This record gives sequence, structure tokens and C-alpha cells, in this order.
Amino acid sequence: MRELQDRNFVLAVAIDKADEVKEVETFFQPNGTKRYRVSLQILKLASGGEQKEETKTFIKSNTGESIFEMVRDMLGQNSKSLWFEHIQVIVISDAVLKDVGLSEILDFFKRDAEMRSRIKIYVTSGKAQSIIEFNPPSKEPGGVYLANIIRLHLKNVHVAGSRTDLGYTIQYFDNKSNILLPRIEMADKVVKLSGSAVFKKDKFIGYADEYAVAGLKFMLGTEKSAVVTIDSPKTPGYQVVFELFRHDTKLTPHVENGVIYYTDDITMYGNIGELQGDTSLNDTLDPEYLRILEVAFAEEIKRTIYYADKVFKKDMKVDPVSRFATKLKSHEPNTWEQVKDQWDELYPTIPLYVSVNVSIRNIGNHK
Amino acid sequence: MANLEAKRSMSAFQLAIVVFVTCIGAQIMLTPRALIAQAKNGSWISVIIGGVLFYIATYLMLRLGKKYPDETIVEYAPRIFGRMGGIFVIAWLNLVFFLQVITIFYGVGKIITFYMFDRTPPEVVILALLVLCTYCALQDWGTILRIHQFLFVIAYSILLIVWLTSILNFQPENLLPLWPVDVKGVIAGGLSTWGMYGGYESVLLLLPLVYRKVSLNKLAKEVGLAFIGVTLLFLIIIIVIIGVLTVEDAKNLPFPALIVIRSVELPGTFIERLENYLLVTWIPVVFDTLAAMMFFMAQICMRQWRHADHRPALLLLVPIIYVGSVLIDNPQIYDQMGKLTMWVGLAFSFVVVPMALLLSWWQKGKVGKDCG
Repeated sequence: MRELQDRNFVLAVAIDKADEVKEVETFFQPNGTKRYRVSLQILKLASGGEQKEETKTFIKSNTGESIFEMVRDMLGQNSKSLWFEHIQVIVISDAVLKDVGLSEILDFFKRDAEMRSRIKIYVTSGKAQSIIEFNPPSKEPGGVYLANIIRLHLKNVHVAGSRTDLGYTIQYFDNKSNILLPRIEMADKVVKLSGSAVFKKDKFIGYADEYAVAGLKFMLGTEKSAVVTIDSPKTPGYQVVFELFRHDTKLTPHVENGVIYYTDDITMYGNIGELQGDTSLNDTLDPEYLRILEVAFAEEIKRTIYYADKVFKKDMKVDPVSRFATKLKSHEPNTWEQVKDQWDELYPTIPLYVSVNVSIRNIGNHK
Repeated sequence: MANLEAKRSMSAFQLAIVVFVTCIGAQIMLTPRALIAQAKNGSWISVIIGGVLFYIATYLMLRLGKKYPDETIVEYAPRIFGRMGGIFVIAWLNLVFFLQVITIFYGVGKIITFYMFDRTPPEVVILALLVLCTYCALQDWGTILRIHQFLFVIAYSILLIVWLTSILNFQPENLLPLWPVDVKGVIAGGLSTWGMYGGYESVLLLLPLVYRKVSLNKLAKEVGLAFIGVTLLFLIIIIVIIGVLTVEDAKNLPFPALIVIRSVELPGTFIERLENYLLVTWIPVVFDTLAAMMFFMAQICMRQWRHADHRPALLLLVPIIYVGSVLIDNPQIYDQMGKLTMWVGLAFSFVVVPMALLLSWWQKGKVGKDCG
């Protein structure tokens, strides 16, 4: 039995390409090459009086090929055993993912009994190690801070955070589904989560921007709250903002005479969140004006969805999280059996018809 | 002084509880993967098919038992099948219990060492559980029945509450298509649910304890209720596993029922890693099933060898059970053992028991004619 203070709690893992091999931190390897650098963010356990330090965590790194072997070798750099029960986040550099599949990288994490299903996974275009070296201004341990950012994805349509943790990613592997993972970037001591890394099965194919992610979330109904901005219909050049509170979204597959198409019926309820420009011209107490806004917001949401549809269907040619395939398989299993082997080629040609209704329920505290 | 624990009679409801508790044991953790791999989205139909099928088997056993009041199958089998045939049938029944017991011990040892004590050899876990179950099975039936009744209320309710937290991750769309594309797989899955329902054979040994005045209809009704309960519980388990994990994921996981719970996060609480809580509530469930089955095995030997006490037979069986459990040393052998157990159990229920019933009708008819 090990006491709490005898354990090194790993809070975050970063996986990069091994650009440089430091002699001391690595080990002689009979098999494989020095392909990856794995960095662990470890919690500093200190008594109350000793907590004046800047950071609550420290980093240890190693290079090699097997992640498990690197982790075990890192015990040579630690006075206490490494404990993965409380790991919060795995950050992977896209340089690694351009060479190998995601499933290869995550195999150690999906196999080990210490790992949790709800570990967050992020992809970065920079160095993953820099992300876990980030010291949060709130003085939280870095791993906890990074993991908590994504908890806010329900209110932030720019982050694809729904079902992107380790447990769901393993499900996607098993279902041979495409995968979306949140993108995390760091610049000038700012860490930000936005957009999405897109995978065809487990192969990384690129990034979707925030606008495409927003469209996708509207399309699939994975947002809980959202902010939609339009140019004011009466005072062009000024913006009006709709705050979404509730929605009914139904993506349905249809098969007619062997032709497959999808409809997306969306009804959104919310408030006016912000109105710039002259409020006497934009009279929110005028029901007629509210109808005009509702139509304009509905058009904007439709445009966002069609943009996402274009990005995933035409540019990337990938069925995002295989949602369309899953819908067809669930609701039209016989058709799915006929088309499943050609789905990747068929998907970009399948039309999507979107219908959006917006209902403004409130105008806020003021006219 | 009279032994107050030596139970001489029980009600139909108590028999139903024993059937419920004996059916639901380790298999709620051990068998879902194989069933889901076979029947896919139609697994829920397989569970219902299994429930109906094995209830019919139990009903036939009740009919057979009612024909020989105050006797267990050990006493009347030689009269139906002849001396050697009777010994063969009794040995077959004991083999059904033995195979179930050793596969359960192996599976439990595997799960507990993987998720709770990863440095402990499974043999040690098996031994510890075997000692505990032996201690329970050494008692008289009154004590075992009381433990069954106690755990029926306590362990199962806690198990269900912990289990149902996984609804937080439930996705109804994962269950679709509800109607199976692979009908053959669903039917084969129905047969393979024997691994889940197995244990109902206990009625062949317990029926003489049920009050004589209890009619066959009443027995069928009470045991039917037990089967409805068991089927509902298995349905919940299978539906939740598929709803949370999807078919494809569940069939790649050795113990999907645990992974389902592992995915649960209770926001705002300090309670984490719910799979450990599930395991802790599951151990008593396994314990009472194993203890009952070991008791039944010892009872069969006791009656066969015409002993007055089941304890020497039980102590003789313990090393055999232990060796049998540790000899299953890899998943391939475990799978083969599971299949063997299933076919031995199915053949006993659907060949031996109906044959016994037909022969007993024929023999009684013949006696009637000869008298006339």
C-alpha cells in the first residue's frame, strides 16, 4: 500500500516527435528508434506552508518508441512511482499524427487499467510539451486547467468538445468511425482551444476552422448554448446577436427510389443577446422587427451549416464522426448494408437539406 | 439439541428467490461480450428468447419433480433410467454445476486481479473466494437460504443502483436498428444465454423442500416471476451496455459491463472510478451463487453415496474445484469451457429432462395398465 505522498500523480501527457535526443534522459533501445518524445506533467505534492512556488507541477521527458517503455524508464528520473489514475489530458502534436495513426499512439492508454475513460485528448500544430508546460494564471495544476477548458464546450460553438475523450475515441476506433478532436494552440503564454483536428478513421487529415465546427455543432445538435451574430438588417455595419437557449435538432436520413439524402430540421429558441447601432431604428419591442431578425438569424445558421457541410463533404471528403453513416445504419439498415463498402466515395455526393426556424423568446433586460 | 438451521421446508416464493439468486451471478460481468458479439443489436431479443426457453426447461423440471414428491432427482433418476442410467444422469447434473462453478471462479479471479489487485495472482483470489464459499456451503440449507434472502434485498439493489448510474452516458441511437438484420445470430444468441440463466437446475434438488400442498401452477407462477425478474435485469444490462458503448466497442472489451461503469463521472462529487464500487457489490452476488452451487454439488454426492451429511462430500470437492479453476489458464480455454458448459447444460435441460418426463409418464401409464 502506497501513501498519497509516496506517489507521483501524472496529470497530463504530451506526445511529440523526438526532434532531439538527450543522452541522460533516454535509454539504450534494442528495438525501434527514438521516434517520440513523451513528456509527463506531474503534480507537486507539498504541505500547506511550502506552496509559495509559481507552479504546482513539473515536467519529465523521455524519448523512444514504445510509450509504455518510456514511461517505465522515466522511473529512473523519479523518486516516487508514477501514478496514472488521475491523468486529465493527453496532448498530441500533429507532427506525430502525420506519420502514424491515432490508434497506435493511444493504444497504451486504452489498454492500461489505470486510465480513465474521460481523459481529454487534444491535438496541437505546435509542440505538445509546451502546452503541458503552461502555467495557468489561476494557479490550478496545469493538467486540471487544460481538462477544464473543454468542459465549457457546450456554450462555445467554436470548440468540438462533445464525445472527444479517450472512452469515446476508443469507441470510434472500434466502430471504424471518423474522429474529431479539439485543437489546442499556444502563443505568447496564451493557451486556446478552438477548431478541430479531423481524422479519417484514425488518420489525421487536417483542421476544421471554428466556423465549420460551429456549423457542425448546429447540424448535429451538440451545442447547448450558442451565440449567433448577424449584420443588423436595419442598420448595416452594426451587429445583432442571438443567444441560443434551447433547440430541437433532427438529422434524418431518407431513401427514396434508391436515392439517399438527409434532412436537418432545426428549431431554436433564445434571446436577443446584444444589439449594436441605433436602438430607435432597431426597435426590439416591434414584433415585425423581431420576425425580420428571426428570419435573418435562421438564414445565418443555415449558412453556417452549409459551410460546415462544404468543408467536410467537398474539401475534406470525410463524414464527421461518421454521424451520417451511423444515422443511415440505425434508421435504414438494409440500405446501409448495400452502401457501407462504398460509403467513403458516396458520402460527398449525398445532399443535405437544412431547414431552420428561430424563435426569439425575449429581448433581454432592455429594449 | 435440534439443529434449527437444518431447513426441512420452504415456500414457493423462497424457491423463486433461490432460482433468481442462483441464475444471476458472475455471468452478468462475464458473458455480455460473447452474447453481443454473436447477436449484435438483436442481443435484447436473444435475452428474451433465453428467458422463455429456460423458463420452459424449468417448468419441465418442476413437472418432473412434482411426479416424485419428497424426492430429489438423485432418488428418482435410477428408477426412470435404470441403475447405470441414473448414475449417468446424476453425474451429468453434477457436471453441469461443476463446469459452471469452475468457469465462474476463473472469471472472477481474472476480473478482480485485473481491476483491483493487479499484482496478486488469480490463484490467490480464487483460493480466498473458495474458502469463503466453502464456509458458507458447509452450513445447512436454512443458513444458505437466509443469506440468499438477505443478499437478494441488499446486494442486488445496490448493484442495480450503481449500475444505473451509467444511464448518464446512454445514447438510445446506439441501440438501433432494434430489429436484427442477422436473425440466425439472434437465435444462436438465445441459446448461448444459457450461460446467464444457468443455475435453475437447482429446482430438481430443492423441490422436495417446498411444502407439499403447493400446487404445480403456484410453483410455475412463482418461478415464472423469478424468470421475469432475471430477464428484466439481463435486459437492462445488455441494453445499457449497447446504449453506452455501441455493439462494436462492447465486443472488443473483455468485460464491457465494467467499462460502462468506468465511463461514469458524477459531476460535483468526490465519487470516482465507479467500477470499483460495482465490483465490491458484485462480489457478494458471485459469492451466494457459488456457495449455493457448491452446496448443490455436495448434496448430490451425499444423496448418491447415502451419507447423512453433505460436508465430507463438499470438502472432497473443494480441491477438485480449485484445480479445475486454475487449470483454465488462458482465454481460449475459458471460451472452450464456456461452450462446453453451455452444451452440457442445454443437453441436460432439453434432452435429459424431457426424456425423464416421457419415461416417467410411460412407466406410470404402464403400471396403471398392469394393475388394471
